[in-house]
Amino acid sequence: MIGTNSTQTVRFGHTELPPEQQEALRKARKYEWITIAFLAASTALVYAVLGNSQAMKAAWVEDILSFLPPLSFLLAARVIRKRPSEDHPYGYHRAVGIAHVVAGVALTVMGAYLIVDSAIGLLSAEHPTIGGFNFFGQTIWLGWLMITAMVLTAGPPIWLGRVKMKLAEKLHDKVLYADADMNKADWMTAAAAAVGVAGIGLGWWWADYAAAILISGSILHDGVRNTRGAVSALMDKRAMTYDDDAPHPLARQLDTYLRGLPWTQQARSRIRDEGHVFHVESFVVPAAGSMPSLEQLEQAREACIAMDWKVQDMVIVPVAELPSEFLPGPTTGGER
Amino acid sequence: MRRCKVLFLLLAALLALAGCGTSYPADPEGTLDRVRGGTLRVGASPNGDWVRLPDGSGGAARVEGKEAELVQRFAERLGADIEWVTGTEQVLADELKHGGLDLVIGGLDDKTPWSTHAGLTRPYTESRDSRGSLHKHVMLVPLGENAFLLELDRFLLESGQA
Repeated sequence: MIGTNSTQTVRFGHTELPPEQQEALRKARKYEWITIAFLAASTALVYAVLGNSQAMKAAWVEDILSFLPPLSFLLAARVIRKRPSEDHPYGYHRAVGIAHVVAGVALTVMGAYLIVDSAIGLLSAEHPTIGGFNFFGQTIWLGWLMITAMVLTAGPPIWLGRVKMKLAEKLHDKVLYADADMNKADWMTAAAAAVGVAGIGLGWWWADYAAAILISGSILHDGVRNTRGAVSALMDKRAMTYDDDAPHPLARQLDTYLRGLPWTQQARSRIRDEGHVFHVESFVVPAAGSMPSLEQLEQAREACIAMDWKVQDMVIVPVAELPSEFLPGPTTGGER
Repeated sequence: MRRCKVLFLLLAALLALAGCGTSYPADPEGTLDRVRGGTLRVGASPNGDWVRLPDGSGGAARVEGKEAELVQRFAERLGADIEWVTGTEQVLADELKHGGLDLVIGGLDDKTPWSTHAGLTRPYTESRDSRGSLHKHVMLVPLGENAFLLELDRFLLESGQA
């Protein structure tokens, strides 16, 4: 059924995506482009009213950094379509992980820099200066403009984040998930910056730095979380759900299926998350110590691959007993 | 989600406070309140037509020039007397930074290196030098004295149109 009537099938490596995932990918790309367009407008607007506020500066830097996840998603979505080749027998799926690491490190570095910068400003008690601007012949305090800009840019990311979150789940895409998660929290940045500027207006010069530190703290937090997730994925952590919340249930499904076959006695798998698709190595102990036929092995493999589009590479290794050095821990993926 | 509510409440509270306050934005050091009906301490650094010291006036009783006149009118509007201090830009900027002055003039433009020491007004007029480059002229105010700065910005805009 897969790809029977579509003129152009969408692949991740040699895996053809089921229609639902193809649709999700198409939408994800669309919404990432929308995100980029929104960010271009919002960074330009915020830059125009930046003034001397540290909190506004932090919010602006966060906007600039928000370009990274959508860009890495779009780039990776292009690269991973390549089929595995002689030089890259596992395919190009790790492109996603690399993009994720780069985005995470950028966030971490900028977050740390902004915290230090804001703390220096706070300690040296440098009072932020915000004057007037010419509004059709009237002089109005620039702070009002800053607050307006922040309120205007606070809304759209929440919506974008919600939409992209659903797509991230369907595509099992962690970059998209991280992006959506950041978008959803973005309005807090805007609100904090607005509060900081309003504080300046009250003569509380420190409110600006306090807001800036809060914002840079959230940038740093995002950065550390993303870097950690991306690095451990690249280090072949066992497959987790798209939000890294729990072990992926597929591990358990595969093992249950393999154990249920009449010719097996015991089975356990280890699974690598390559970005969207999984590479699975399953060790099976044949019942009564007799080797299964090639046909039986082949059928089992086909059945496992058919279970979920994410199972892309699968090897089944018949063994005399489960090799504990390859399968540490008491249980498979989802079991407790 | 709880954090969001707190932030929103804070913002609302701040805006409400702002509405009740007599002056918004306010000066952390109260410059505008002190100057109004009191004394405006102005640092003047001689520079072309902008700030001139009349010959022979070693002291700082009188300062002339376009910017000096503007400041004079600003002081009148606030009902303040002017206390002139003359010196080089560096001395005056440093004094401004440490709270010894309320305003510094000297034909400065918006590229002034003293933006680390002082807040800048909006460029209120433009001029071209003999090399043809454009200068957007500003005055220096104490950092963060936003009510005072806004009052001066307003004055400069109005006097520019008149």
